[in-house]
Amino acid sequence: MASSQHVLLSPAELSYLHSSLSLTPPIRPDGRSPTQYRPLSAETGILPGTNGSARICFADGTEAIVGVKAEVEKTKRRWDDDAIYSENQPTEGEGQQQPGRDGDNGEESGSSEWVELTVEIPGYRDDDSGTIFLGQMLSEALLADGGFVRKLRINRRFHWRLYLDILLISPPLSYPLPLLSLTTHLALLATRLPKLKSEGDEDPFFDDDWAAAPYLYPRDPSNKQKVVERPPVTLLVMAVGGNIIFDPSKEELAVADVALAVSIGDDASTAQQIQGGDKMDVDSFSHGSGSGRNLKLLSIRTVDPPSRLTPPGVANAANSAYGHAQVVSSAGAGGNSQKMPEARQTESEAVEGVWKPPRGGAKAIVMGALVQKVLIRGGVADEVLDALEGVDTS
Amino acid sequence: MPLDTSTYGLALLRVDGRRWNELRRIYAQIRTQAAADGSSYLEMGHTKVMCVVTGPSEPGPRRGAGISSAGGAGGGGGGAGGQSKDAEVVVNIVIAGFSSVDRKRRGRSDKRTLEMQSTLANTLAATLHTHLFPHSQITISLHVLSQDGSLLAALINAATLACVDAGIPMTDYVTACTAGSTSTYAANDEGADPLLDLNHQEEQELPGLTVATLGESDRVVALVCESRVQISRLEGMLAVGVDGCKQVREILDQVIKAQGQKMILEGTVDKGTGLNDMDLD
Amino acid sequence: MDARPRHLHPPHTTAITSSLAGITTRTNKLISVRPLRARYTPEVGDLVVGRILEVQAKRWRVDVGSVQLAALPLSAINLPGGILRKRTETDELQIRTFFAEGDLLVAEVQQLFGDGAAVLHTRSLKYGKLRNGVFVAVSGMGGGGGVVRSRRQVWTMEGANNAGKMDVILGVNGYVWISKHVETPKEVEQKHMGITNLEENVSATVYSSQNDAIDGDTMREIARLRGVVTALVENGCRVDEDMVVRGYQEAVEMAMLSESGQEDIYLGGERGEQLAAALRGN
Repeated sequence: MASSQHVLLSPAELSYLHSSLSLTPPIRPDGRSPTQYRPLSAETGILPGTNGSARICFADGTEAIVGVKAEVEKTKRRWDDDAIYSENQPTEGEGQQQPGRDGDNGEESGSSEWVELTVEIPGYRDDDSGTIFLGQMLSEALLADGGFVRKLRINRRFHWRLYLDILLISPPLSYPLPLLSLTTHLALLATRLPKLKSEGDEDPFFDDDWAAAPYLYPRDPSNKQKVVERPPVTLLVMAVGGNIIFDPSKEELAVADVALAVSIGDDASTAQQIQGGDKMDVDSFSHGSGSGRNLKLLSIRTVDPPSRLTPPGVANAANSAYGHAQVVSSAGAGGNSQKMPEARQTESEAVEGVWKPPRGGAKAIVMGALVQKVLIRGGVADEVLDALEGVDTS
Repeated sequence: MPLDTSTYGLALLRVDGRRWNELRRIYAQIRTQAAADGSSYLEMGHTKVMCVVTGPSEPGPRRGAGISSAGGAGGGGGGAGGQSKDAEVVVNIVIAGFSSVDRKRRGRSDKRTLEMQSTLANTLAATLHTHLFPHSQITISLHVLSQDGSLLAALINAATLACVDAGIPMTDYVTACTAGSTSTYAANDEGADPLLDLNHQEEQELPGLTVATLGESDRVVALVCESRVQISRLEGMLAVGVDGCKQVREILDQVIKAQGQKMILEGTVDKGTGLNDMDLD
Repeated sequence: MDARPRHLHPPHTTAITSSLAGITTRTNKLISVRPLRARYTPEVGDLVVGRILEVQAKRWRVDVGSVQLAALPLSAINLPGGILRKRTETDELQIRTFFAEGDLLVAEVQQLFGDGAAVLHTRSLKYGKLRNGVFVAVSGMGGGGGVVRSRRQVWTMEGANNAGKMDVILGVNGYVWISKHVETPKEVEQKHMGITNLEENVSATVYSSQNDAIDGDTMREIARLRGVVTALVENGCRVDEDMVVRGYQEAVEMAMLSESGQEDIYLGGERGEQLAAALRGN
């Protein structure tokens, strides 16, 4: 369970928000549609001293900067193995060791140790559990299928060690995971590694010309804007009363029944299709968002929404400060004419207009629907990824 | 400026083409973060820092190591919480791992960082009118995005800008600059020139100091010197540094005024009345 | 070594130096500077919207967006059962039944402490706990001085498209409350022609945390109005009754012209800029 920042709202506001978001169609506080993302401004290449950098500002003032730096490192070799020591990282996070295959087949995998990711949140210590957990979630999406670390391999003896430093500039008023994930994604898209001039397994040396440096995520040769395979991204999705809502603001999270952090990436197999240009199905590029790529789910994490930490509202029936006199009540309050309210409100009873923090977990059907909505081709995830791809990274 | 291969004596030009009394390019912007009380972004050459000011506001719970504060309940470590006559200035510096050429991760309790936080907090607490905000706290968060020398000076300048943006009353601008000397301690070279605004390379090899002054005056608010330098050179360096501070002040003042004019044009604030050409200091 | 910083004395010159960056105003011999941006400073008589942050023994501490938290003493609120009811120890023990942490209220600044902190009171029928609506903060977003001071801070307006009436409260401190209009006791009494005590009626419902039922149309128009306020702030416009009412009318018209009709209530980004430009008369 991830921790969330507590947003202070009165029970009346929470109840109103919950009702508003439970309508069909839901009415969000700022009027967005359920799949509409808030406008954000994004730029890359702001730090010339790095291999890749990006900065994203959300409309509510939150801001993050990510810088990627790389250095050459000697690859550790197992004492009894000619091949590279490799580690496979299945999604559950348990390391399994499999002997690496011989060099020439091109099947070597990298090690998750080749990527170091740090997150800095203002006002929180480095070893604060929330900060570390954020870092874990972000790196997990990147390392899930082992495909990323493979890109870092130079030759059998050397590899790139990548440092991702993620800074949250604004104070963490809302759950920063989506912002940090989008910024990381963009920084990775903009990352370039020097072009290798050496050959085989000799000590690597590189081309000094930075303009010749290829992107870490290579571009489609026929269309310079399109990326062959996109880095992963983590989205925050929530459900309220049967409605599924994307890019929740902190008020919306405060009334969520369930919230998920979903990490998605490009399905490598369809990415391969794109690389082999002549095998490309022209039609698939003209559909919908123009992406012929399938998305795959890399990880899901439940996020403990701040709604669970909110104090419950007190119904009028149990409110000792309510109804001390004969009340000629206004619309719909339930016309309580008792002198002394004696009915005790039981916890399980829900009263309309009174806020009650959600209890218990999420139904499997709801989770399934959430994930489905994220992965659907041409859906929100595709839109987000395409939008990020459109940012100029030259 | 590498000494062994110094070409300085030949053309009197430094590695980056500057003369002894030239500042690097300074670029500054305020109101970079809409949601904060005050914010700024400052570049001195390749040293880039961002600053966010929160406050004055209610003091938070007492914090432990890693954050330096000044003013308020004075002296030593944990006093009982903060009912005090003055606002407390809390400074927090985060140096990003990618800020230097070699990526280096710095923890929050790094000694150099702590010392810079403390210097900054003391400097600002002396200049800001903290007596106007008793029982409150001003939090200054700085992020270092790129380092190329003169880090403390850039931090002081960025913090000043952000405090002005936040509308916190202060005695005057606090502007800072570095100054160095072209010869090392041992060289005993009488012809050594003072240098203004050191970059990273120069800071590594030459003696230097950071000086901060108050507004247009010659009054020194902060002075930090971590290298060995002959006493006879000190006055020259200081004079050059103070002059540099005044130049920085001009630039920062322009930035503030430009923002003010922009806000008037946009109609966000109304024009002042009854003045013709009085200067805002 | 003395660790406390010494304050610097102003230079011995006769020139006048401002301690702030801002707009100068000169009236006869008085020169004042209004900062470009600063936190709200309370004045006596201001109508403010605040959120309870702390509950103490006999008072609450309220966030009004200023440097210090404001204080609301237990003696300064209307107790249910009539104004003349004596405060008992039970009241102190049950202090959270009136206002708890997180509750929003509208109050007036009664007086100021020596250090500038405000003391609030809700001793009037128009003050008290807020419900049936949404909260927006004008400060804390881009642009503007954040503080809204105008002739009328509270008003009721008609919602378009089948919605009911809406109340708007513009706190001077930049905190705004938009809600479904709830009939005031005067209106209720006129309807039912009861002889019951006016104060008793009011105080009976004023501490309720339970929202009344609100229909979807009203919720939609409230969301639209909230969008108008946000758009005004983000685009540096003044936020007062005139601008908000005009902005709302403009937003309703914009929605009618758009493809999703009245369902279209989003006013962020470009739509907000469009709205602001229309209001400025460009």
